[in-house]
Amino acid sequence: MNSSIVVEDLHFAYNKGEEVLKGISLVFDRRSTAIIGQNGAGKTTFAKLLKGLLKPDSGSISIKGIDTKNTTAAGLSRHIGLIFQNPNDQIFKSNVLDEVMFGPLNIMKEEKRARDLALGALEKVGLVNELEQNPYDLTLSQRKLIAIASVLAMDTEIVIFDEPTIAQDHRGKEMIKGIIRELVGMGKLVLTIMHDMDFVAETFERTIVFSQGQVALDGSTREVFTQEELLKKAGLERPHVTRLGAKLGCSHTFLTAEEFVSFAKKSDHRGG
Amino acid sequence: METLSLYVDRDSPVHRVDPISKLLYILAATAIPIILPSLLTAAVVLAISVALLLLGRTFRRVIPLISVIVFVLLTILIIQGLFRAGNVTPLFQLGSLIFYREGLLYAVRISLRVINIMLAFAILILTTKPSDLFETLVRKGLSPRIGYVLSSVLQIIPQMQNTVGTITDAQRSRGMETEGSLAVRLRAFIPLIGPVVMSSLTQTRERSIALEVRGFSAKGKKSFLNEEIQEPYHRFIRWGLLLSIILALVWRVAA
Repeated sequence: MNSSIVVEDLHFAYNKGEEVLKGISLVFDRRSTAIIGQNGAGKTTFAKLLKGLLKPDSGSISIKGIDTKNTTAAGLSRHIGLIFQNPNDQIFKSNVLDEVMFGPLNIMKEEKRARDLALGALEKVGLVNELEQNPYDLTLSQRKLIAIASVLAMDTEIVIFDEPTIAQDHRGKEMIKGIIRELVGMGKLVLTIMHDMDFVAETFERTIVFSQGQVALDGSTREVFTQEELLKKAGLERPHVTRLGAKLGCSHTFLTAEEFVSFAKKSDHRGG
Repeated sequence: METLSLYVDRDSPVHRVDPISKLLYILAATAIPIILPSLLTAAVVLAISVALLLLGRTFRRVIPLISVIVFVLLTILIIQGLFRAGNVTPLFQLGSLIFYREGLLYAVRISLRVINIMLAFAILILTTKPSDLFETLVRKGLSPRIGYVLSSVLQIIPQMQNTVGTITDAQRSRGMETEGSLAVRLRAFIPLIGPVVMSSLTQTRERSIALEVRGFSAKGKKSFLNEEIQEPYHRFIRWGLLLSIILALVWRVAA
């Protein structure tokens, strides 16, 4: 399997003496991966380090064989895209199309192609009719979708979402779920930082738990959500349907409502 | 909140003195050497200011401030020493340049006054949190609007720095080179201006809404976040300072 991100013994502190990340070693393959953990566990900092916006204090990060210490964030941007947690930190142009075209224009310098990519990305998030609007006249959830589109338009092989479902209603969440699945289908590596455990359980193959700047758990999503005690120690709750199954005394760890329903139907048959 | 200020956070007797007393000290340290223009008064005030700064453990912060001023004062010293109108008594000679006693004394007097005023202000600025100062002034009757304007002036630059950082991150994470040589950074500066100004305007509007929501322009008496600290000795200091100004005046008139 092609490993596009290799992190070795990563340490990072914003202020001397207060380490945020305390020795993280991870290898990311093509599996879609969720990073979960309490607020302040270091998830967003980790994403910024992968993106090259911050540089490791010690240890190393290599993105497709490039050490982030030896390049600039701009140089990495054709390989790795990051959708910021707060869209207001990401959006700085005065109309939607310019905002989404900014990235592709920078990395390919060809207006026609950049425009096509931007329009394609806006189509995916359902904002293709708002091209001339000022992003700040739209709602927060729409701005989040613009932020997503502006990274999708860059067509990077690695895409990191930081809390993609913020301010989204059910329809928005389903749309984002669809986008993530499509990216995975295209063979891209998708990393997502999340608090929505139901969404994680339904969408990602691999889950990594951060706790106090370290990796507390790492495995397939089902394995991780089986570890009730360790999750509790990291301050996390399991998905609703997983807890429901556990409360009913099932030994199986359910990840989606569908799994639970088909299981319940089967046992109903056996019972009846 | 982060502010642009020279305040040094220490715990010292000077820090604990209230801002009004420190403002009065500025008045006294400025007025007394003018009322009593002998070199001795100026030197005494200078000694007191230095002692207070040492007591406040902030003296080292004053040195860079002084060194800028000293450069200006040196030029005064040279020009007055050479060319002042009342120069009669030559003091010493450097090559063909003759320095005169009258001019030099005059320059020294001016320099001491400037340094005294500066040190007195330094005591206030280095040992008083700006927000405490403005709160005290508002308590004493300064309009809260002006108080807010004063304190926001100190906040606006760090805030803009933050905004610049945020926007730069957004730009470089989407492929715009902002790191490296001076030429690259200069080129990156221009696309920053628009978004920074825009977002400052947006922030201002949002802040004004937030202030109004919390009754900023409500009529009636306002309460304050912090209790006013009234130590008996604060009064003593204030009256002492006022009294010394009055005494200086009396001395001047009587003599």
